[in-house]
Amino acid sequence: MIKGSYFNGETSEKKDVSLYYKNDGLIGFNEISVDEIQFHLIKVSSRIGNTPRYINFPDGSQFETDDNIAIDEMVKKLANDPLHGLAHKLESAKAFVLFTVLAVILFGWLFIQYGVPALSKQIAELLPDEASQYMGQGVLEAMDKTWFAESQLDEKKQNELRVLFNDLLKNIEGSQNYKLKFRLGGKIKANAFALPDGTIVFTDELVNLAENNLEIAAIMLHEIGHLKNRHSIRATIQQFSLAMFVMVVTGDVSTSSSVITAIPVMLVESGFSQGMETEADTYSLEYMRSHKIDPNYFAVMMEKLAASYTPEYITCMEKANKHVNKIQCITEAVKLNKKEESNADKSTTDYFSTHPASKERIERFRVK
Amino acid sequence: MENINEAQGADVINKPFEFTGKGGEFFAIWIVNVALTILTLGIYSAWAKVRTNQYFYGNTLLDGASFRYTANPIQILKGRVIAFIVLMLYYASSTLSPFIAGGALIILMLLVPAFIVMSMAFRLRNSMYRNVRFNFDKNFKQAYKIFAIPVVVMGLYVFLISQLQNGLASNPESQFFGIAVLVLVLAIALMFPWWEYMITHFKVVHAKYGTSDFKFTASTKSYYGMYLKMYGLMILLFGVVGGLAGAAISNPAITSIMGIAMPFFIFVMFAIYLWIFAYIQAKRTNLVYNNLDISGNKVRSELKVMYLLYLYVTNTLAMMLTFGLLMPWAKVRTARYRASVTSLNVAGDLGLFTSAQEQQQSAIGEEIGEMFDMDLGF
Repeated sequence: MIKGSYFNGETSEKKDVSLYYKNDGLIGFNEISVDEIQFHLIKVSSRIGNTPRYINFPDGSQFETDDNIAIDEMVKKLANDPLHGLAHKLESAKAFVLFTVLAVILFGWLFIQYGVPALSKQIAELLPDEASQYMGQGVLEAMDKTWFAESQLDEKKQNELRVLFNDLLKNIEGSQNYKLKFRLGGKIKANAFALPDGTIVFTDELVNLAENNLEIAAIMLHEIGHLKNRHSIRATIQQFSLAMFVMVVTGDVSTSSSVITAIPVMLVESGFSQGMETEADTYSLEYMRSHKIDPNYFAVMMEKLAASYTPEYITCMEKANKHVNKIQCITEAVKLNKKEESNADKSTTDYFSTHPASKERIERFRVK
Repeated sequence: MENINEAQGADVINKPFEFTGKGGEFFAIWIVNVALTILTLGIYSAWAKVRTNQYFYGNTLLDGASFRYTANPIQILKGRVIAFIVLMLYYASSTLSPFIAGGALIILMLLVPAFIVMSMAFRLRNSMYRNVRFNFDKNFKQAYKIFAIPVVVMGLYVFLISQLQNGLASNPESQFFGIAVLVLVLAIALMFPWWEYMITHFKVVHAKYGTSDFKFTASTKSYYGMYLKMYGLMILLFGVVGGLAGAAISNPAITSIMGIAMPFFIFVMFAIYLWIFAYIQAKRTNLVYNNLDISGNKVRSELKVMYLLYLYVTNTLAMMLTFGLLMPWAKVRTARYRASVTSLNVAGDLGLFTSAQEQQQSAIGEEIGEMFDMDLGF
């Protein structure tokens, strides 16, 4: 006897009934006059936690009960279906659930740490060159409108650097599309970008930091490293894979969960992007070693870049008017920055950073 | 139906909703779902979704009977495959060129009203209470009319601005662009409450339980009241914090400790953001539910902003600290709270509703809508 409610399917009327079943498979109700029916003609819903169970009859009526134990017993007696309630058996086995938790955590970590970067690399290499040509068309125009102004470097300097750039490219396969452009950075300050179509942009501010053209060459090689490794396409693929992963884990991407998933996703994406910076560094380092350029130029330039964002450097530059003074500004800022860095600990903000801690990057280029 | 109940003038009895799910129980269901989804390369996700919905529906009780979710996983799987292909094409096109991606986005946007209608129909058709199905009239024409309004208004605005800008191009120093953006923001802020009312009204009046229609008794006035209050509080809060931050930046003495102050300001901004989120969720849900009427039976919802905020903050922290492992617990306690403040004022008898004729729905609309992150609930 299983106590529950009976709904005839035509109206929402609820009748309290008790269901009985016999060993020959006939099922009926005590309180209402409906014909007895064979078990194989009814449909018993599978168990989900302790939610009510439903039995559906061919005439459209339905029996609802919260007595899960009695229903399980009945199904065991009358049905020969080992698959019935399989999911519930797995979900209620503590050892299995614990094993699943560990497996999912391990898989999630492996997938994000190794799976996504490897997958995106594979796909990026499969895509034809034309794809990256189209990609990001108009990116520079958009940047010109919002941030950049025309470069104020003199023709001589620009030509000098272009010759240097072309010299570097001579030893690099598949680099015929690579172009060098200069812009006044403004708010962007000292920086360099590699656009997917092969354009490398240097800001005047970055060029002015260098005392030696080989310092700029080191940064050029880093940007070429981004292009050679197809980092823009890979970033897109990684973002896509990550979105898919989040969807699988959360089951849905609703407004409430997006607030919560935003932070972990940001952490992982900055991790991916740190990985790409390291790859570009490696490219630059290997080129410099094999072509007898002192890797220390990169280290020097990185120190200057880090120092160029400090308030001390900015105030110093506002006062400076002659070129000599400007060089003094950066030298002093680098000294000051080094002193401060040795006092400070690695902070949590590093995890949110898109670039690896510059200290570690610089060390790589100092080790002979 | 409606007339019978209303004419009877029977005593109104308040019946509470109840949610009986447990965090630990749902955790086991969820983690097995995730594991099987990974093992089957995503195919099980359709079954996972059905089991999850069945868990939440089945644990929601009203007057001694449960709600039931009856969607067929195979149908959902078909929708997911199509949605996945569409999403892949969209991502691929966005890497190729912003123009192609823009075109694809416009096409998808044009399909949004259809997705919403199909999704509502699918969800309601597969919701059952007392063996009587809910339903949704698929009125595509009206859906497109409602969604066309903001598109037309925005398009007209952009056109006007571009015309005016051409005329003013000779004067690059003018603050025209800034003013234009400000006007647009104001226009959207003023139009939004009305538009949201239209959409909610559309969704409610096309919904049915069996053969009975839902009625929506809210007015545009109540929507404006809710949003204007929120705008005011937003301006006040962000104004105070922004002003303080501005003062701190311009004062050189404080600039030196900006390293400490910055995370604090970010924290305060995030807190305000969460508060606004909780405020709008609570007020909007209350407004919608308190104006639902089915054959004289009225829903009561009394969500509290501060309690919802407390739930969001603790849920977010718990999920961040456990890398999402406490998500099932968070979902269950949110559902329990929501049910605990919801009830139905029953006028007459809940047993008098009649079933409608059966018909099949396609899952494609629902799944594509879900993949592109549209909130399709009431």
